[in-house]
Amino acid sequence: MSNQKKRNFQIEAFKHRVVVDPKYAEKTWKILEHAIHEIYNHNASGLSFEELYRNAYNMVLHKFGEKLYSGLVTTMTAHLKEISKSIEAAQGDLFLEELNRKWNDHNKALQMIRDILMYMDRTYIPNSRKTPVYELGLNLWRDNIIHSGKIQSRLLSTLLELVHRERTGEVIDRGLMRNTIKMLMDLGSSVYQDDFEKPFLEVSAEFYKVESQKFIECCDCGDYLKKAEIRLNEEIERIAHYLDVKSEAKITNVVEKEMIANHMTRLVHMENSGLVNMLLDDKYEDLGRMYNLFKRVPNGLSMIRDVMTSHLRETGKQLVTDAESSKDPVEFVQRLLDERDKYDKIICQAFSNAKTFQNALNSSFEYFINLNSRSPEFISLFVDDKLRKGLKGVSEEDVEIILDKVMMLFRYLQEKDVFEKYYKQHLAKRLLSGKTVSDDAERSLIVKLKTECGYQFTSKLEGMFTDMKTSQDTMQGFYANHPELAEGPTLVVQVLTTGSWPTQPTITCNLPTEMAALCEKFRSHYLGTHTGRRLSWQTNMGTADIKATFGKGQKHELNVSTYQMCVLMLFNNADRLSYKEIEQATEIPASDLKRCLQSMACVKGKNVLRKEPMSKDIGTDDAFFVNDKFTSKFYKVKIGTVVAQKESEPEKLETRQRVEEDRKPQIEAAIVRIMKSRRVLDHNNVIAEVTKQLQSRFLANPTEIKKRIESLIEREFLERDSDDRKLYRYLA
Amino acid sequence: MPPRASKRKSAPPNSSSVTSSDGRSVSNKAKTKGMDKIDRLFNTYANSSLGVIDPEGIEALCSDLGVDYTDVRILMLAWKLKAEKQGYFTQDEWQTGLKALGVDSLTKLKKALPELEKEVEEPSNYEDFYIYAFQYCLTEEKQKSVDIESICELLNLVLGVQFRPQVDSLVEYLKVQNDYKVINADQWINFLRFCKEQISFPDLENYDATQAWPLILDNFVEWMREKQS
Repeated sequence: MSNQKKRNFQIEAFKHRVVVDPKYAEKTWKILEHAIHEIYNHNASGLSFEELYRNAYNMVLHKFGEKLYSGLVTTMTAHLKEISKSIEAAQGDLFLEELNRKWNDHNKALQMIRDILMYMDRTYIPNSRKTPVYELGLNLWRDNIIHSGKIQSRLLSTLLELVHRERTGEVIDRGLMRNTIKMLMDLGSSVYQDDFEKPFLEVSAEFYKVESQKFIECCDCGDYLKKAEIRLNEEIERIAHYLDVKSEAKITNVVEKEMIANHMTRLVHMENSGLVNMLLDDKYEDLGRMYNLFKRVPNGLSMIRDVMTSHLRETGKQLVTDAESSKDPVEFVQRLLDERDKYDKIICQAFSNAKTFQNALNSSFEYFINLNSRSPEFISLFVDDKLRKGLKGVSEEDVEIILDKVMMLFRYLQEKDVFEKYYKQHLAKRLLSGKTVSDDAERSLIVKLKTECGYQFTSKLEGMFTDMKTSQDTMQGFYANHPELAEGPTLVVQVLTTGSWPTQPTITCNLPTEMAALCEKFRSHYLGTHTGRRLSWQTNMGTADIKATFGKGQKHELNVSTYQMCVLMLFNNADRLSYKEIEQATEIPASDLKRCLQSMACVKGKNVLRKEPMSKDIGTDDAFFVNDKFTSKFYKVKIGTVVAQKESEPEKLETRQRVEEDRKPQIEAAIVRIMKSRRVLDHNNVIAEVTKQLQSRFLANPTEIKKRIESLIEREFLERDSDDRKLYRYLA
Repeated sequence: MPPRASKRKSAPPNSSSVTSSDGRSVSNKAKTKGMDKIDRLFNTYANSSLGVIDPEGIEALCSDLGVDYTDVRILMLAWKLKAEKQGYFTQDEWQTGLKALGVDSLTKLKKALPELEKEVEEPSNYEDFYIYAFQYCLTEEKQKSVDIESICELLNLVLGVQFRPQVDSLVEYLKVQNDYKVINADQWINFLRFCKEQISFPDLENYDATQAWPLILDNFVEWMREKQS
């Protein structure tokens, strides 16, 4: 039998031993506190990391994190206060060194402490939202050292003093600076900014304000800019060596503002050394420096550009309106080209070929080239000169370069149709006198003009070339068909299609009988193969080579105009001829005849005729003889002149009138084109559209456009809208 | 008798009347009577061989109305009659016009003149009258413009009362300038617009030459400004 006792099973929760030693926390803390002291006293080597870590761990585990943390704060603060005193005590230059040394110490200590207290860092601190150990250490440093009353201002003034010394040329301990600055940066960007950067920028601004004022009083523009550049580079280098890279933009702004922006206007306009002088003297380096410095400040480049533009316009205006330079068209154009080359080079070398500067150059040229209404004529004369002789012996590439430069000037012209008219005249003379230096160059220019202005611009010019070629073939055919004429005078005929060549009036002139007969033969030959065409001899445009024998037997070959030939041939049958007799025989109009006789009787070296009386002018009662005493060192003597020349006033007026007349139908065609497509359009838009359409040929005058509109209204192509007077309607 | 061809296709002026087979106007008695009176009045002044009132007739009519030959009211009458050719009134025009005026005798016509003036001055009619005045001067076929001298007189006549200062200056200018020897319809209508649009006179401050005014007015304004400076 057994005694059955009922036993209750109780399962109890496992309880670990709670050490409720009230002194436990205090004891453990004391250990740690001691350790911190030792660490700060550089006695860390005697400590056991593992033990300390365990202690800290236990404290946190046993819920004494609070005590640990606040203990840490107190202890560290106390030490920092000690450190602060020792830093304050440092004299002079040692201040910064001491600060640095103590900072390094503190960092090392902080790391060790953090390692020891790592468990707290990971558990208690996040839970209670307290500042982590390392950051705490930095903040305490900041609050107790950097922001301590005695240290804060001293630190700042020391740093600024060093920077100032360096700016004035002294060598400073950059390493020390770098460390100190890094310390500030580590303490937080607001510390760096508030405790150093802001004051630094202010002081720098003051420094540069003073310095720039000093420089500007004593330096010329180029030197000033050199100094400014040096200072700027210095500051950039300073940043790289010991300041926060984020400060670079800020300090460079300061320098730019104080040294450049504030004195920009004065620099640019400085007498004898400012921008204009640099431009005039081609000071590429100075200009480049100015460009680079001014690029950094607002409106810097636009100031340079504006001054350059107004200077260019002024000089350009003087160039084109100067009466002297207008006397020689070739010189005139050459000076324009030289000016353009000069500025091209400046922009390329000093202004980094910036597009805005190129545009300023172009707009300036466009402005002043058109101030002289003879520019189109002169450019054509320049080209004429080059194609006659100027390009002789020049290589093909150089020819292209010159022609391209001329095209640049051409592009600036507003009245391109005037250029076309003159170019046609000059080209005609060149072709007909056979005086062109290079056929390839001629054609190359035509191609360039075609690319620029379109097919219509050059179709007639090309027609002229075709005529020349065709005429050659015609002449060959003529002589092939008439072998019997090979013995007589050689005839060279150029058959010109009326539409392509500049219009010339047909003038009367009686050819000598031998020539007349020959010309007739040619006419019948030509018309035989080209029925339905009409030929009229342009006696005012021809030339002749005739052999002459003078009184003492001297023989010469004379190159003369057709008129001159007619006159000279008369003397084969008479020794003396009066003006009236010559006039009657040749039927050449009076003004042309007078000029013709003058060129043969009154010009030294070409006086194949003798005149009585010996006056310079041709009178209607004068008598003419062959000049038996004529001499010339050349066998071939050129008397005829069919060279293109600058027009006389009346000729100029006539050409301009013809240009104006030609413009009228062009304007009307443009108006009709626009109105046909738009149907209804208001006045201002019509003017704008018409001007735009005609831009590539000439600048249309709004008054002239208005006249044409009214003419079209009268002829019932357009009407005004009945309600809105400003509108025009197209009438189909 | 076979019915006569009712419409003759020749150039104006020419008389044409709708006739019935017996050659009399077809309408009721009162109308016929009224028309008769109008016709009789017409015949008083008409040139019997031409069948229209010619300049002589008009002169006589004016004298009877107590109005000068060159008075603007005659022009207004012509407008009312829609007379096509200057100096002539056809029978048709006469009939239509007098009927529209509601008159059939000389006295009534005389009384109707002031009313006619008012009618013309109504804004809706005035422009029409103004344009008519110009076209009335185009006496030759294919004529499109009127010589300066006539234009000056016409301006005086038509615009003189309402726009005296503008007309005086404009007339002076037209006589002095020599860009234009004649004025066309477009320029004519723009004279009226110029006056109507209250371009401040004589300073012409609010005249804008960039607007679509005819060139002649641009030149006129420039001339005025130069005169004043």
